[in-house]
Amino acid sequence: MIVGEEVLVVNKLEQIKQEYKETGTLGLSMGLRLFLFLILLVFTMVLGIIVILLLTGTFTAGVDENKKLLQNELNHISQHISQYYGQLSVQTVDFSRNLATSIEKMLLEKEIDLSGLQNNPEILEEILTDQFDRALFSLEKSKSSGVFIILDATINNKLEKSETSRAGLFIKNMEPNILNSSSPTIVLLRGFPNIARNNSLPLHAQWDMEFDISKAPYFHLPMEYAHKESLPLSRLYSWTPAFTLPGTSEEIMLCSAPLIDSQGNILGVCGFEVSAMLFKLSYMPDYSTYSRIFCVLAPVSKDTIFTSGAMFSGGYSFKKNTLSPILNIEERRNSFYSYEGGKNEAFLGFHVPLELYPKDSAFADQKWSLAIMVPEEDIKDTLVSSTLRLAFMFTLLMLLGILLSFFLSKRYIKPITSGLDIIKSNDLSETPKTGILEINELIEYLASQSEEIHKKTEQETPSAALNEFARNIKNLSPAERSVFDLYVQQYTAKEIAGILCLSINTIKTHTKRIYTKLNVSSREELLLYISMLKEAGKDLK
Amino acid sequence: MKRKVLFLFTFFLIFSLLSACQGDTLLDPKNPVTLTMWHNYGGQMRYTMDEMIDEFNGTIGAEKGIIVNVTSISGSATLHEKLTMAANNDPGAPELPDITTAYPKTALILAEKDLLVDLNEQFTEEELAKYVPRFIEEGIFDNKLYVFPTAKSTEVLFVNNTLFNRFAKDTDISFDDLKTFEGIIKAAELYYQWSDNQTPHIQNDGKAFYIPDSLFNLTQVGYRQLGDEFVKDETLDLASPVFSKIWDLFYEPMVKGHIAIFDGYASDLAKTGDIICTTSSTAGVVFFPPAVTYSDNTTEPVEYGILPYPTFQEGEKIAIQRGSGMCVTKSSKEKEYAAAIFLKWFTQPQQNLYFISSTGYLPVTEEAYGEMMSQEINNISDKNIKKLLSTAIEMQREYDFYIPPTFENIDKLEKDFENKIRKIASDSRKEYLNHLKDTDSKGANKWVGYTAKEAQKILGDL
Repeated sequence: MIVGEEVLVVNKLEQIKQEYKETGTLGLSMGLRLFLFLILLVFTMVLGIIVILLLTGTFTAGVDENKKLLQNELNHISQHISQYYGQLSVQTVDFSRNLATSIEKMLLEKEIDLSGLQNNPEILEEILTDQFDRALFSLEKSKSSGVFIILDATINNKLEKSETSRAGLFIKNMEPNILNSSSPTIVLLRGFPNIARNNSLPLHAQWDMEFDISKAPYFHLPMEYAHKESLPLSRLYSWTPAFTLPGTSEEIMLCSAPLIDSQGNILGVCGFEVSAMLFKLSYMPDYSTYSRIFCVLAPVSKDTIFTSGAMFSGGYSFKKNTLSPILNIEERRNSFYSYEGGKNEAFLGFHVPLELYPKDSAFADQKWSLAIMVPEEDIKDTLVSSTLRLAFMFTLLMLLGILLSFFLSKRYIKPITSGLDIIKSNDLSETPKTGILEINELIEYLASQSEEIHKKTEQETPSAALNEFARNIKNLSPAERSVFDLYVQQYTAKEIAGILCLSINTIKTHTKRIYTKLNVSSREELLLYISMLKEAGKDLK
Repeated sequence: MKRKVLFLFTFFLIFSLLSACQGDTLLDPKNPVTLTMWHNYGGQMRYTMDEMIDEFNGTIGAEKGIIVNVTSISGSATLHEKLTMAANNDPGAPELPDITTAYPKTALILAEKDLLVDLNEQFTEEELAKYVPRFIEEGIFDNKLYVFPTAKSTEVLFVNNTLFNRFAKDTDISFDDLKTFEGIIKAAELYYQWSDNQTPHIQNDGKAFYIPDSLFNLTQVGYRQLGDEFVKDETLDLASPVFSKIWDLFYEPMVKGHIAIFDGYASDLAKTGDIICTTSSTAGVVFFPPAVTYSDNTTEPVEYGILPYPTFQEGEKIAIQRGSGMCVTKSSKEKEYAAAIFLKWFTQPQQNLYFISSTGYLPVTEEAYGEMMSQEINNISDKNIKKLLSTAIEMQREYDFYIPPTFENIDKLEKDFENKIRKIASDSRKEYLNHLKDTDSKGANKWVGYTAKEAQKILGDL
């Protein structure tokens, strides 16, 4: 079937080619011409739309929009984090100052110094019990997830672990994001169990009596710098990277400051906690566009993000232990930053530095950044799918245009061809009206012409005209004569073409020449003369 | 003919366009739905839960287009309060999550506000038939399944074997005594005396032996064991002779310090060696630390024994059925469908057993409870959980399980009952200690507290 159609198309093309050779013009039908014109129009319009979209930047809008979205999200979150961490730093310093004053006063009252606290559980418990309310109040005010006090003393210095064990208090708020809660969400993570029991607090599931300071930069660093540097308290607080306290299961960041009394004695450290859950719930980026978007607060060097010490927030939290401990930052021209890890991890996004310390702080060299990232494949998928959507829409538009052109050209040409068929019929005077004004006018014109010819032939001396006609027949070339003879036998042009095995256009050319030589203007006039000659008994051979 | 072809072509084009825009399923892996989740699996259980959620997100979730995002891990009491606040739209309350663990009492509050999905719509009958029927039954209200069983628990007796053996060596008490409440009371009295004798220079500093983690559960199960119902028509039946029996058995040891009076988790007292045993939820196993810390910061490694729930003498072997299930809140069709996929995955025997093997919860499907669990026990490294699961299998075989009634006021009733009992007992204890100061210990034995009838009067307005 398809092969048959192909053969037909090839034959048609061959015919058109042949006719073009013979007549010097491309013999395309009116319908085909109109169809091609309309398709050209459709192509022009689609191209125009593409040019307009290119000029207005619609094609690049996807990338720009994504960049803007991430940058806005980053600005928004970084402002909040910067403000919150700043406030918490200030509160740590205030808490430390007030705490140191209060503990110093108590030690004076009891006439003991720091060394007197060692191995003295009763006094330690009394001091920490005394500071419980202050600590709890500070915890609520700070909206952090925990508050801690570590004194540079241990309950029992006879124990093996006493070198790395320090007495203190660690109160945790398990639900810092709930503003209004009547049931206790406060638990005791470290400290004397009696403090919890007297205040109706449960012990944390991973409670312990004292702090294990064997690997505790939050204790050692402020203590060390307080000894070493003569800086004001506000330059001695420090933030830890995210870590897990020994024996616990949740990652936290601690802000700690040394407890320094008026004599310059360093009593211990204190500070606040930001838990991974608090961070996650407080700084969740909008994940309606990218479900795997996440926000990272991490220590950084020039071109590296240390995810091992980072806090994460996002709709999809990456399992931290499967993520590379470091991500390399690479800047791409006019595009996103790329963050690449060692296990084929690639993220795109942006980052901004976050100032956690004043410039003259003892820890000013610790640099932190806040980054918003999305897995590279997610951004690429979005861009590819939007490009595919556009390409699909254009293809669809073109197809619809071609279909419409086909319909329109068919519909437009149909009355014209039927009009022409009417004209070709013999009796123009009895033809019905078509729906097209111009065709009607043409039919009327041809009908009147035909009538005039009849009148003229009737009025004119038939013999003179007939004689001239009969004479002129002899001037016809052999080819024209054979066409003429077939007209005499009442054949139509189409039939003649068939009989003589010539194209219709060739017959038309012959017919035109016959008309000129016999001095007639139409087929009707020609047939009229022929019938008149026959009636007059003249020989037409 | 040509027209028909054109019509079909146009129809095909429009159809492809529409299907490209809408998608043919509820979920699209390229555009995943994010389900927020609250759960009460804190502490060590959090590791397991995090690991399982990561596994889901990386496998089925990635394949179907679902991301589970945990936005709260709280204790069950806090979770209850948060959910109630969110359901009531209280100021400062967080938004309800898509999936949450909840006890039936919490689910009832949410269901009454039409906030929960009827999970019957998401599971076929065939699927539901795979679960232990009484676990499914617990989550059904008004023929609608609101609480889907994900991991259940019962109560068992946790015993600090290390401390108990030290005490038992010097007395004629053995583990057999711990099979009944009467035996526990007897051991408690002896332990108080024994611990008091450890410090001859200090009088009356004996230690408590036992504490029930939930007095209310103990009373409910005690009634059932002795053939009665504690909660009748949404009120407490204090007039029952069973109440007198329980009161008589427990009140005096509480006043005398043999049983601890404490408004908190029993595991808190276990951490500091202040009790020897407790009836507590199997899910509490991870809260019992491997070492006891004493007041001078010395620590002692301890081993726990996990025994079946004690019975009253002449009582039947009945224990409570506890444990929250998971509820799905009403949101969009996509999210509800996605949540059901997560629940199905989470409770498949393989996942279910992995979860229980590190948390102390009990599995929920018949398949997981059977042969599979017996095999799984051998692969568990945590000694306590191993013991716990063996005990659970034993109890599953020998015990009947009591499902506490669920109605709106039950939570308040429970709190009021426990607070009042504790108040009566602690006031009496103060009086008793004062009495001790004024008289010799012989005289103190003549001290008389509240009788069961007097207690009924005090508790009467519950």
